[in-house]
Amino acid sequence: MHATSTISGRILVVEDDRRMADSLVAGLTGKGYQVSLARTGEEAFFLVHSTQPDLVLLDLTLPERGGLEILAQIRAEQLPTRVLVLTSHNSVDDRVTGLNSGADDYLGKPFSFPELLARVASLLRRFPVPPRSASLQIADIHIDTKAHRVSRSGTLIDLTPREYDLLLYLLEHRNQAVSREMLAKDVWRETSRFTPIDNVIDVQMARLRRKIDDPFNIKLLHTLRGVGFILQEPE
Amino acid sequence: MKFLRPTNIRSRLALWFVAILSGVLLIYISAVFVFQYVLLQRQIFHDEIQDVETVEGLLYFDQHGSLQLEQGYHTHQQSRLLEDRLMEVRDLAGNVLYRTDTLKGATLGDTALPDEGVHSYNERSTMLADGTRVLLISHIHPVQGKPVLIRLGYSMAPLHDRMLHFFFLLLLATPIALLAAGFISYSVARRALRPLASMASRAEQITASNLHDHIAIENANDELGHMGRVLNHLLERLQQAFAQLQRFTADAAHELRTPLASIRSTGEITLQQDRTHASYREAISGMLEETTRLNQTIDGLLLLSKAEAVQTETGPTSFFLPELVQEILTLLEVLIEERQITVLEEHQNTIDEPLVADRSLMRIAILNVLHNAVKFSPDRSVLRIAYGKIEREGPIFYRISIHDSGPGIAPGEHLRVFDRFFTSSAHQGRGPRGSGLGLSIARLIIDRNGGHIYFEENVVNGAKCCIELPISTKKSKSN
Repeated sequence: MHATSTISGRILVVEDDRRMADSLVAGLTGKGYQVSLARTGEEAFFLVHSTQPDLVLLDLTLPERGGLEILAQIRAEQLPTRVLVLTSHNSVDDRVTGLNSGADDYLGKPFSFPELLARVASLLRRFPVPPRSASLQIADIHIDTKAHRVSRSGTLIDLTPREYDLLLYLLEHRNQAVSREMLAKDVWRETSRFTPIDNVIDVQMARLRRKIDDPFNIKLLHTLRGVGFILQEPE
Repeated sequence: MKFLRPTNIRSRLALWFVAILSGVLLIYISAVFVFQYVLLQRQIFHDEIQDVETVEGLLYFDQHGSLQLEQGYHTHQQSRLLEDRLMEVRDLAGNVLYRTDTLKGATLGDTALPDEGVHSYNERSTMLADGTRVLLISHIHPVQGKPVLIRLGYSMAPLHDRMLHFFFLLLLATPIALLAAGFISYSVARRALRPLASMASRAEQITASNLHDHIAIENANDELGHMGRVLNHLLERLQQAFAQLQRFTADAAHELRTPLASIRSTGEITLQQDRTHASYREAISGMLEETTRLNQTIDGLLLLSKAEAVQTETGPTSFFLPELVQEILTLLEVLIEERQITVLEEHQNTIDEPLVADRSLMRIAILNVLHNAVKFSPDRSVLRIAYGKIEREGPIFYRISIHDSGPGIAPGEHLRVFDRFFTSSAHQGRGPRGSGLGLSIARLIIDRNGGHIYFEENVVNGAKCCIELPISTKKSKSN
């Protein structure tokens, strides 16, 4: 849990769009993963067997063999590989087809890279998620998850339930960028992709910052313009 | 018969007409035939009675005591040969006293009927030994004081011959009449349907590019004229829809192009010269923000197309509107608090019936409207939400109105605010830009659920958006 950003693993990226593939490889390599790339279904089949990846990032629309076919093959051979499906067809039908044929997770294009990283990290966790520890900490912020109490430098901070959830989520993704899409989906539990709550998130974030950061000298919660937010240990 | 089935309407019409006409003729001919037959029969009986009365006066017993018929009244003896009447006279014991030669020795009816010829003429038909059908009457008459039974009849053969002639005559005339009727109806049908052909050829020439071409109507009041009018209305609606689609495509292209242009120019300008690390970061962040905008526009367009297709994945469920509004207010709570907006909820009627609709789509619709209202509300203002019922030509509608204290809607823009990508000239540059699709999406969803959404005009302060939704139609029907 605490070292999600440094987890290592073999990832096979199956993506036919050159630019998309290049940025995926670059982004994942930058996070310390061993990444191989297949541009066609045939290549993907070969690499699945030769490199035995822990995770396959699978584009469903591929030349030669379709992504679903590869997925079915991986599942038929009972390979111990996790599969994260990436596609630009964002209808629910695709999602159901993808998950039914054995994908472990599903992400629609265009996705935010922080979200992809979070999904990849959670899929690569070999073990079931450990029970949330009774207390979480970053720098001098301390969360008592049983009593739902938050304090910084010993000062008790009064948070609304939403602010508490938000802080908890940021803390669980510490040192990782968190996009507004991720927050909408995971903290606000908005299922629709067209729900205009970006400014709700921004205002909520500003209020949280006012409580946990403003009275203190060292700032932990940062806005990454165009990306999202990050709760970061001071360097 | 199947391969003879005509494919065009006028042959079918003509054929139907001929078939019906021949049916009618058949009935008519049968009726006339029967009527004529009965009439002629009656005439024969009538003649027979006249004959009996005449014959009675001519019968006499000669010196040998046998019954004779006075023949002296014939001026020409040959005229006797013209007589084809059949007559038999019996005494009351049944012995034949006299028989005409025309009978050729056969008896005219066997034993006497009870009271034969006493009270009536006993008009009847019988058959002779040689098979001839005879129309017969009887009468008792005293000849020189001695009562005798006179039977007088005529063979039906001449009647049947005449009826057969009559029948053949009718039969011969019928096909000629039917042929003429068929030909006339065919040409009349062709004449009547001629506008159809011209309409069809006109309609064939209409494509997407000349939808404004209308179909010519010969007579606006007849059925074909009506169809022509309907088709023209269809064309008008198609033309409007098409124009809307074209405008929408152009607008969508524009809306997608604007962030793209911004991304492009940011990239180009940034690369023109070496910059500091921070300024690169700044440029890339700006580009990412634009991609978010692009993405939101595309999501909105997809949602519009999804709401436009009638089916949705979840299907309708029943729920209570105030509950949904509460949920949305909770979501927006932080904005409302931040801007110190007071939300006043007012329940004008108690409504027990739930709404039946796709909840997730309805939530998006109302969220868009409420979010808009909050966005345009000034700080420390009041936002009024009122729930009520309204009856519109029968069905009862649930009505929710959302009244903000913002700048309101410019005159003449009350309908246009629902257009896709509409941005009011009055509000430009105010606050963060939306995708311009929120209200279009809301309207589409409300419309799909059989409701109405509109901004009330003549509102003094702010804008007042009203949403009317039909209350569970199934229930109100059974009530």
